[in-house]
Amino acid sequence: MRHLTAVFLLVLAALPDRAGVDRALDAHILPGFARFAVAAGALGEAARADCRASTLHAPFHAAFDAWMAVGDIRLGPSETGALSVAFWPDPRGFTRRALAGLIAARDPVARDPATFATVSIAARGLFALEMLIHDPEFARYDQGDYSCTLARAITADLAAQAQALERGWREEFAPLLRNAGSPGNATFLTPAEAMRALYTQVIASLEFTAGQRLGRPLGSFERPRPRLAEAWRSGRSLRNALLASESAHALATALADTPLPRSDAALARVREAAAAITDPAFQDITDPVARLRLEILQQAVRALKSAIEAEIGSRLGLTAGFNAQDGD
Amino acid sequence: MKHTLIGLGALALAATAPGPSAAHEAAEVLDTYADIAEAGYLDSLAAARDLRRAVEALIEAPSAETMQAARAAWIRARVPYQQTEVFRFGNPIVDDWEGRVNAWPLDEGLIDYVEGDAGPSDENPLGGLNVIAHPRFTLSGREIDASRITPELLREVLHEADGIEANVATGYHAIEFLLWGQDLNGHAPGAGNRPWTDYARGEACTHGNCDRRAEYLRVATDLLVEDLEWMAAQWAEGGAARAAVQADATAGLRAMVTGMGSLSYGELAGERMRLGLMLNDPEEEHDCFSDNTHNSHFYDGLGIRNVYLGEYVGIDGRRVAGPSLADLVAEADPALDAEMRARLDASVLALLKIKTVAEAGHAYDQMLARGNANGERLIMEAVEALIDQTRSIERVVDALALGGVTIEGSDSLDNPSAVFQ
Repeated sequence: MRHLTAVFLLVLAALPDRAGVDRALDAHILPGFARFAVAAGALGEAARADCRASTLHAPFHAAFDAWMAVGDIRLGPSETGALSVAFWPDPRGFTRRALAGLIAARDPVARDPATFATVSIAARGLFALEMLIHDPEFARYDQGDYSCTLARAITADLAAQAQALERGWREEFAPLLRNAGSPGNATFLTPAEAMRALYTQVIASLEFTAGQRLGRPLGSFERPRPRLAEAWRSGRSLRNALLASESAHALATALADTPLPRSDAALARVREAAAAITDPAFQDITDPVARLRLEILQQAVRALKSAIEAEIGSRLGLTAGFNAQDGD
Repeated sequence: MKHTLIGLGALALAATAPGPSAAHEAAEVLDTYADIAEAGYLDSLAAARDLRRAVEALIEAPSAETMQAARAAWIRARVPYQQTEVFRFGNPIVDDWEGRVNAWPLDEGLIDYVEGDAGPSDENPLGGLNVIAHPRFTLSGREIDASRITPELLREVLHEADGIEANVATGYHAIEFLLWGQDLNGHAPGAGNRPWTDYARGEACTHGNCDRRAEYLRVATDLLVEDLEWMAAQWAEGGAARAAVQADATAGLRAMVTGMGSLSYGELAGERMRLGLMLNDPEEEHDCFSDNTHNSHFYDGLGIRNVYLGEYVGIDGRRVAGPSLADLVAEADPALDAEMRARLDASVLALLKIKTVAEAGHAYDQMLARGNANGERLIMEAVEALIDQTRSIERVVDALALGGVTIEGSDSLDNPSAVFQ
């Protein structure tokens, strides 16, 4: 009898799960991938017209901004696909080695967009392009140089990846999430599983921002590591942390069926803490005052995660599943 | 109103989970878990002692034969140890200790001579330190006297020096590097090929400082034995790790599934397998000097299955078994138990395929080469199988009500509901 009661109540509980998953897809995820595909396409177009570093800075930033709305999602087509769009962190310096290797060998793979997808992810995607067009060791190339061809290859490949992600989500994975619990859906056996899968992305993203995006450069008080900040070469470290937090909050808001006053207030504090930071690349954190401001931002991101856990996780009886950062 | 019902749904679920008899059973399951952990660390210790004997023989009488015998002992030592990796995540006592024993990846230029890319980098200026060749050096502004290679030098000064995790001075992979040396074959066949004369005395010594190299190898092997002695004791009757999982049945079961899920997904499928494949880097493999990665992955997978089934086959063939997580799941949801078993079997089989191909001569680092479609398929099939089994592990968490469900209205920010961190 107890089991029957549980089943009955679970069916009722499924209703907000379905609605939340639909809202998350329609309001956040699918439009996010569509915008990223457009921005990455524009970056590819720009590189075809003029592949020199300085002309690519603006469309690079636009594409990276678009990516941040959906970039922390590691599920479905993004489970593996996100790694070749944004390979970071890179503690062993693969990106520099991979780019330098291609350039030194004038590797013909850069002349063939189709096979460029087979090269190391360290030489593909946003972070490879960032180093190529922002690092002084690489960025001084001219039209006709191998590096110019390489910039075209990276951006064309990125545009193709963005399209594939957009299509994969829209045509294959979104339907799987929406019809969770239907016969034949082996991925999500209940709407609650689909809900948890998306909720896990919110929590994992905020953990990644606090622990990696902000935690890596913070290092220890004795040994801050500004060079380990994400995307410091293009001055995007702060912007990425803020956009990631806003995206996690937006996804959480879409999943929920009620207002989230505490999460909204926590996001406002993240924005305030971000506004107090002077160097958007975190390169000033050897200064104790600057360091303190970054620590405050990290605390605000963690508080946002706690607020979302309290307002959505606890209320819907959700716990985050395993995420890709479990492990070292 | 709906929300109240959701809350009640969670409550009703919780009510069907552990009653008094189930709690009793859970305690027995945790006994089996601790027994398997103890057996695995005792086997790892016995194999590490064999390795130490082989290393002493190599240092005493360097030759191609004693070098080969030490390498074989290292390979054997990995068999039980990798099966214990599943105890890492979820058990802080193990996780806090593990970095001394199995830290990876490493910048081996810290320890000894290297060629090519493996030297210093922007990220790690100490990556080219080469302590074997340098009895004195400066580290973070401090003068270090390394004229004697001591346990303190390795453990306290060099290991994770400058806060960089790739500065690995102790453990299996440091010893592996000292026995095999760099694998300079790229994606072509062949492992590291350090000559035995790197340990020869007098004129016959190659690459210099053979006495210091031998001393480093001796100290690192001693430390490995010492560390494993300590960990085996933690799981013995009265040990802290055993006591920790037995203190609270729900927390203990949670540690079991956390270990299974985190090793399956984030660590093995993600960090060790898929990332290495996508980087196409021949040295981005777990046992990169010895080309033993296929075994390390396989025994990791077997260890995850051991924990679920409550069964371990020791290095002497003995069977350690008892009431299992599988029993608990079968009682709560037989279909889920069948799914979990099938997926564990599938991942072990997928890892076995990689092992089979590697043992037939096509090594794991060759599988990582750009455009090696067969290698990519083999590795990705194992990755997919590990991801699939993680989804089932999440269902086990639900079925046994291990999620730490908190009720609506709880304001406790100090007690976040996400348990898998």
